[in-house]
Amino acid sequence: MHRIMITAAVLALGAGLAACGSTTSGSGSGSGTSASTGAAAASCSNASIQKDLYTKGTLTAATDKPVYPPWFSGNDPANGKGYESAVAYAVAAQLGFKKSQVTWAYEPFNNSYAPGPKKFDFDINEISYSTARAQAVTFSDSYYDVQQALVALKNSPIVTKHSPADLKSYVFGDQVGTTSLQFINSQIQPSQTPKVFETLNDVKQALQTKQIAALVTDTPTAEFITTEIPGSVVVAQFPSTGEHYGLLFAKGNKLVTCVNKALATLKGNGTLAKLTAQYLKDFTSVPTIQP
Amino acid sequence: MLGDSSRRGVVLSTTSTVVVLAVLVGIFLLAPGSAQVRHTFFNPTDMWQSFVGDPKAGYYSVGEALWLNIRMFVAAEILILIFALIVAVIRQSTGPVLLPLRVAATVYVDVARGVPLILIIFALGYGLPALQLAGISDQSAAVYGVVALVVSYSAYVAEVYRAGINSVHRSQVAAARSLGLTQGASMRYVILPQAIRNIIPPLLNDFISLQKDTAQVGLLGAIEANKAAEIYSSTVFNYSSYVVAAILFLILTIPLARFTDYLIRRDQARRLAGAGQ
Repeated sequence: MHRIMITAAVLALGAGLAACGSTTSGSGSGSGTSASTGAAAASCSNASIQKDLYTKGTLTAATDKPVYPPWFSGNDPANGKGYESAVAYAVAAQLGFKKSQVTWAYEPFNNSYAPGPKKFDFDINEISYSTARAQAVTFSDSYYDVQQALVALKNSPIVTKHSPADLKSYVFGDQVGTTSLQFINSQIQPSQTPKVFETLNDVKQALQTKQIAALVTDTPTAEFITTEIPGSVVVAQFPSTGEHYGLLFAKGNKLVTCVNKALATLKGNGTLAKLTAQYLKDFTSVPTIQP
Repeated sequence: MLGDSSRRGVVLSTTSTVVVLAVLVGIFLLAPGSAQVRHTFFNPTDMWQSFVGDPKAGYYSVGEALWLNIRMFVAAEILILIFALIVAVIRQSTGPVLLPLRVAATVYVDVARGVPLILIIFALGYGLPALQLAGISDQSAAVYGVVALVVSYSAYVAEVYRAGINSVHRSQVAAARSLGLTQGASMRYVILPQAIRNIIPPLLNDFISLQKDTAQVGLLGAIEANKAAEIYSSTVFNYSSYVVAAILFLILTIPLARFTDYLIRRDQARRLAGAGQ
């Protein structure tokens, strides 16, 4: 069974599903050749990745505190519920870990890219890939392709007036470290400086007290926020800019090759699509507008 | 002309300074993670990019953001000097009618000094807008930040004022009153002029601290230097922007620190001169 999955991963890679460049596909085909010899179903078997683990015998995933739906559920990353928790356990299963062999570490976002040794194998915390960031850490391939969305109070003007020209006149808010700020400034180009808050809770507070006209975040988070703030709605989402979330590894961590294979398998066999439908389904009905 | 012994002193102190610095730099450069730390904290490209900023790439100029710190600092400093003086004078008052005010001032100083600044910023920055009062609840984050700084620092500065007032010898009060000055007039014309001269160094010390603490207002979403540095850092995963912010704050605070030293020296010289007469 295990070997079948790896073969599937290799096939998926060969089919060019993973847009991850020569390094990954190179080692992918390497393991493909040796998979038939059995010696090294090798490169990504549970035994052969042990040397790359933070703690032998367990896969240490990390995320921030608190964590929010729909990415996690009940503020507990270890319950396997919520999209990111489910993806983490699916990746773990691909790598031959039982659920009990996965442990969770607490890693505040701002610490996740600090230099020096990391205390986890990978961090899963809605972290967007960018080339600049990839100089400091290593990212896996995408496990979720991101679109930005607008959340506002129901009776506020932005709900009805959001033509690209109208959008420029509002004060937007976002959470520090998200790519939403870049999106606001490069795509919406508002005339007033957006406000940047420490935590999602602070942004929500600012929206409720009308310090900002709308908050910008990824669509699933936006949908979740409307369940938290009475009288708020997702106004719309914007077209994709090619942004995606990746698992974050210490720079040069070799484990990423096998995790990318696992992700390719999960894409190829429809697991990611199934998890998206299960946890993020409500989030596809939002209208798309131009920034 | 330097004497032999003082020339030797200069040579020794220079040598020891150079040796200490060389050892520290050597340890830093030879540490196993040195290259990584230098890249993450002191990368010239990142330092320059964060200094000039590029909003479309998702980050703001740390240098430009410092202007907000300076404006908040100046506004807060003026308000603190006035407000703290009022609190100090109330606490020093003796009239029985003023008891409620004295109690209020004491409670204010206790609370404002005891609660961490960051919590005061939070309470005012998110509390005041939530009240939805016209004219109060629609101010910018920087305004709430200045109010929070004034609330917190006035308590300290009021105590500095009070110490200054108490440092003026009681005979001065007695002399002023015997000349027929009212209590208020003796405070205004006799006590405060002497008190304030005594407390200028500790006051400046508090204001150096205030300059840095404007950075905490970033918590409310205002993009001041430290926040701009944080945004840069989290956008490109490099901490060099914080070093830029640190250098900018140093450029702000060091002149004030030297000025404080100068005032202390001048005051000492004057006192010594006075003692000799």
